[in-house]
Amino acid sequence: MSTLLEVQGISVTFDGFRAINNLSFVIGCPEMRAVIGPNGAGKTTFMDIVTGKTRPDTGTVRWGEMGTSLLSMSEAQIAQAGVGRKFQRPTVFEDQTVWDNLRVSLKKPRGPLSALFDRVTEADRARIAEIAAEIGLSDQLQRPAGILSHGQKQWLEIGMLLAQDPKLLLVDEPAAGMTTEEREHTTALLKRLAESHAVVVVEHDMEFVRRLDCKVTVLHEGSVLAEGSLDHVMANERVIEVYLGR
Amino acid sequence: MEGSIFTRNRSVPVFIGVLTLLALGVTVLSEAYGTGALSVSFTKVLGMTLCLCLAALAMDLVWGYCGILSLGHFAFFGLGGYVIGMWLMTARTETIVRASLEGAVIPPTEAEVSTATALQIFSVVGATDWPWMWAVSDSLFLSLVMVVLVPGLLALVFGWLAFRSRVTGVYLSILTQAMTLALSLYLFQNDTGLRGNNGLSGLQNIPGLETIGQDRISVWFFWASALVLGLAYVGAAWMVSGKFGNIIRGIRDDEQRVRFLGYRVEGYKLFVFTFTGILCGVAGALYYPQAGIVNPDEIAPIASIYLAVWVAIGGRGRLYGAVIGAAVVSLLSTYFTGGRAPDIDLGVYVIEWVDWWPVLLGLGFVLVTLFAPKGLGGLVDSLVRKDAP
Repeated sequence: MSTLLEVQGISVTFDGFRAINNLSFVIGCPEMRAVIGPNGAGKTTFMDIVTGKTRPDTGTVRWGEMGTSLLSMSEAQIAQAGVGRKFQRPTVFEDQTVWDNLRVSLKKPRGPLSALFDRVTEADRARIAEIAAEIGLSDQLQRPAGILSHGQKQWLEIGMLLAQDPKLLLVDEPAAGMTTEEREHTTALLKRLAESHAVVVVEHDMEFVRRLDCKVTVLHEGSVLAEGSLDHVMANERVIEVYLGR
Repeated sequence: MEGSIFTRNRSVPVFIGVLTLLALGVTVLSEAYGTGALSVSFTKVLGMTLCLCLAALAMDLVWGYCGILSLGHFAFFGLGGYVIGMWLMTARTETIVRASLEGAVIPPTEAEVSTATALQIFSVVGATDWPWMWAVSDSLFLSLVMVVLVPGLLALVFGWLAFRSRVTGVYLSILTQAMTLALSLYLFQNDTGLRGNNGLSGLQNIPGLETIGQDRISVWFFWASALVLGLAYVGAAWMVSGKFGNIIRGIRDDEQRVRFLGYRVEGYKLFVFTFTGILCGVAGALYYPQAGIVNPDEIAPIASIYLAVWVAIGGRGRLYGAVIGAAVVSLLSTYFTGGRAPDIDLGVYVIEWVDWWPVLLGLGFVLVTLFAPKGLGGLVDSLVRKDAP
């Protein structure tokens, strides 16, 4: 397992509020990591920084074997480099079919002219079918994404990340609003993905994190409070204090 | 997904069919080639309407598909008119000047002809010299190139500045209004080289076609407008039916998602903004020779707002909706404000349609929004679906 993403000492301040405070984070590939923490702990801001949406005031974000800095790259360049992001609220293109949603996401040249002259190849077709099978939407390909159930939209979005062929998947609250059955399906899907990708799951739900059965990073007030197995961090005095508000 | 654009988008063969029938109909009814039931001036109105439909088509691409509510696209339309107008005026005035100097004892030199032509064109604003922006006005070919380049460059520079700074939504709309207002105010000045509020006139007189009557020229321009609108429709349908269309609709619905899929959203917006700016420029270059005059009033902010209203009434995101909206509203506008509609005498008050047309339009807009939120194009959709098995 080699280091894929290395975040060193980043801090970011919004109008005097320190959202991220000297945070460091390392993940290799393949690896599954759960990031937990109370509201306002800086989980989403952390993802914003890695994906280029927010620039940190200090610190470094290094990527891949070459240790390229992500800080000078745009969101689109970071995504092309291999960082896929799933938002908390499922964001799919609702008035387009599941097939079109996946087609747009496929790893191909991203320029306007390439898109204008893009033709669907046999390889594209096979890849879309493969991803659809993986996320359990094979029989929904021709339906508009807008009429899918909440859980199916979450899976479609994960499928769109997969189509980009990323190395790192940042997944924000994948189980929110799901039924028990859907949660199990999602857990299995994420675990399968973590066999060949680096997967960072941000989650509130402890039960879900327990099922993922992976290393856990606890964030609090913008920095790492504890790191280790779930049982290890839950035994930590400070973590109990933060979570139970003693 | 497979097949040509004609089978993938069913509106394309229908649209081309209707446009062909219309062109045939106008020809058969025209004064020059047919029964004469259509007056020359009404033939011109129809030809101009097709150009407005072309501008609305562009507006649907940029707003209906890509979600950029530009309220400045009529500036590009007007610029196209100005650019072709410079050639029309130069060439025609030069012909007149040469004719008047014909009988002179000493044949005039080229420089004298040029000076006399400039005097003819610019004396109205108290100038005598050729302004720099008329540099290529003596060449039809270069002027046609400029019809594409001038609106295209303005759209490119404006779009680059706006999209790079991630200006979106209502702020972008306001900026585009400011752009068209600024351009209009600039052109209103007498010393900018485009004859101030006089604008460019006499554009209906096509140089080289002096011996051919307006009855034939009006039909030719109708054909040309129909041809360009047809080509643009096929092109636009092709653009939006493939992956490119998926991406720009994605930008409209969720810009962030598209960005995190690895697409440079700014690049796509700039592409669509510039391409539609050029389409509007071409539409304007076809429109103003039929209208006969272009002046700064044409690109007042309200003109671009009307363009958006046409597309909204016609229904966004379906191409033919924009065309229907532009055709219906602009023809009604011609009817009500052109003195054709009989005023209604209520005894105590006379409804004069020239004054009441904006009220009627506003009312129509509200009714469409309330009862046909998908616009007139949406009504067409529901009729077609009812017929389908």
